[in-house]
Amino acid sequence: MRDVYILGVGTTACGKFPDKPAHILGREAAWAAIKDAGIHPRKIEMAFCGHVYQGMGVGQRTLKEIGLVGQPTVNVEGACGSGTLSFWEAWRSIAYGQCDIALALGVENLSRILSGGPLPLEEDDVEVAMGMSMPALYALRAKRYMEEYGVTPEQLAKVVVKSRRHAALNPIAQFRKEVTIEEVLNSPMIADPLTRTQCCPIGDAAAAVVLCSEDLVDKLATKKPVKVLGCVAQSGKYSDPQKLVCDPSENVTRTSKLAYEMAGLGPEDIDVAEIHDAFSIAEMLVYEALGFCEKGAGVRLIEEDRTSLGGDIVVNPSGGLLSRGHPVGATGLLQVAEIVWHLRGEAGARQVEGAKVGLIETMGGAQPAMDGITCVVSILGV
Amino acid sequence: MSEKTTEQVEFFRPDLFSTTPYPHLIAGHCRSCGKYTFPKYYACPACFSEDLEDTPLSPRGKLHSFTIVRRSLPDYPVPYALGLVDFPEGVRVMAQIETKNFEELRLGMDMEVTIGVVRKGKDGRDILSYKFRPVSS
Repeated sequence: MRDVYILGVGTTACGKFPDKPAHILGREAAWAAIKDAGIHPRKIEMAFCGHVYQGMGVGQRTLKEIGLVGQPTVNVEGACGSGTLSFWEAWRSIAYGQCDIALALGVENLSRILSGGPLPLEEDDVEVAMGMSMPALYALRAKRYMEEYGVTPEQLAKVVVKSRRHAALNPIAQFRKEVTIEEVLNSPMIADPLTRTQCCPIGDAAAAVVLCSEDLVDKLATKKPVKVLGCVAQSGKYSDPQKLVCDPSENVTRTSKLAYEMAGLGPEDIDVAEIHDAFSIAEMLVYEALGFCEKGAGVRLIEEDRTSLGGDIVVNPSGGLLSRGHPVGATGLLQVAEIVWHLRGEAGARQVEGAKVGLIETMGGAQPAMDGITCVVSILGV
Repeated sequence: MSEKTTEQVEFFRPDLFSTTPYPHLIAGHCRSCGKYTFPKYYACPACFSEDLEDTPLSPRGKLHSFTIVRRSLPDYPVPYALGLVDFPEGVRVMAQIETKNFEELRLGMDMEVTIGVVRKGKDGRDILSYKFRPVSS
């Protein structure tokens, strides 16, 4: 297996862009990533495009706009993990020698298909038929977690306060206005205990990453190359109610363990992380699953501001899904771009000083009796 | 998936529950290793056996968690309570909870299976399926 490096990243802003279909957003991000990499577009040998709702051939439709035709282009779907699943595909294509230079792209325009409300899910799924939405699923997790560990609604709301404070410093974030705990708790209730501001918004964006092999990095790199230290994708397993007390995190725990092993690092080595905070509760659950703290202690990291800018393990400096936004197929690559900017020292006002190692966790979907659909964890370093 | 029974109502997945002799869910049971699943899969998730049978689950379980859904997908009249119930056979099932008073719900309380309206169909008719309700003391 060869080492793989990130040469360039590019994104659009996150927000509602009903006049920009996915391929229009996507071409902007792909072109920006290629420019950032400083390579000729023709050098890209393979492309992967993560999306969920954007229809047939969206990767080809996007790349046609910038002349990237002919090469193998694979459209990748893994629910909300689609973006980082496309990153994983690009990484492994290089790591295992199928090509030297690949493009990972993620695109999504949700505002053209949804005016608001929860994401549409598969109607044949029995839990969806019973009235499950993604907010309702996370609300069930939140209710159980809060009772088991004595977490208050105010503590849950503090996740959003941190998220908005970070996003205020991020020029591409969808929500850049700071909020108070009271404002979070007073926003309309979606599914108890989750209020609207504790749910990620409907939004649109695209993001792209150019990767290359260790054999070419010295020759091609025009900026500080970022090394992929670990990259692991896993699907959900059957959850076992006898063992897992509302533990939706088995998939994240398992995937991150494998990623830490591949990188030869542990949670204590991570300086900055972008994680899948689709709902306020998810942030605490993921802290625990990634080993940033013991089970039940996620709330203390929030209470003690350890994951805020200036803390010892900064999580979601971009504002995360809650505030930067969650354009589902693009999300994973927005996360990758954010970590690359921090590792290069290009993150502006929200820069985590001296960041050397960053982690990206993306979690996709829900299935009855299973712990999610896809989880991808990557560890990057300089 | 669904089967019309009268002009007025429709049942969602009538293969997953029965009312005889009392309302209960129908799970999958592996004859090879004993694992229960809900619903029944095509091969056993524990041992890959294809020797699976439909089997009634206990009519009662315990409430693992619940939420009151106030904004939902179209066709689901809000608000409604949605819960996860753990059955003694080792399966956890999600369904709506019938209650006149959301305040009565508590984690760990005993729940029983019932049949009721889960949503409106495209033509406005009620769609019925399995639900839970607190066991009346």
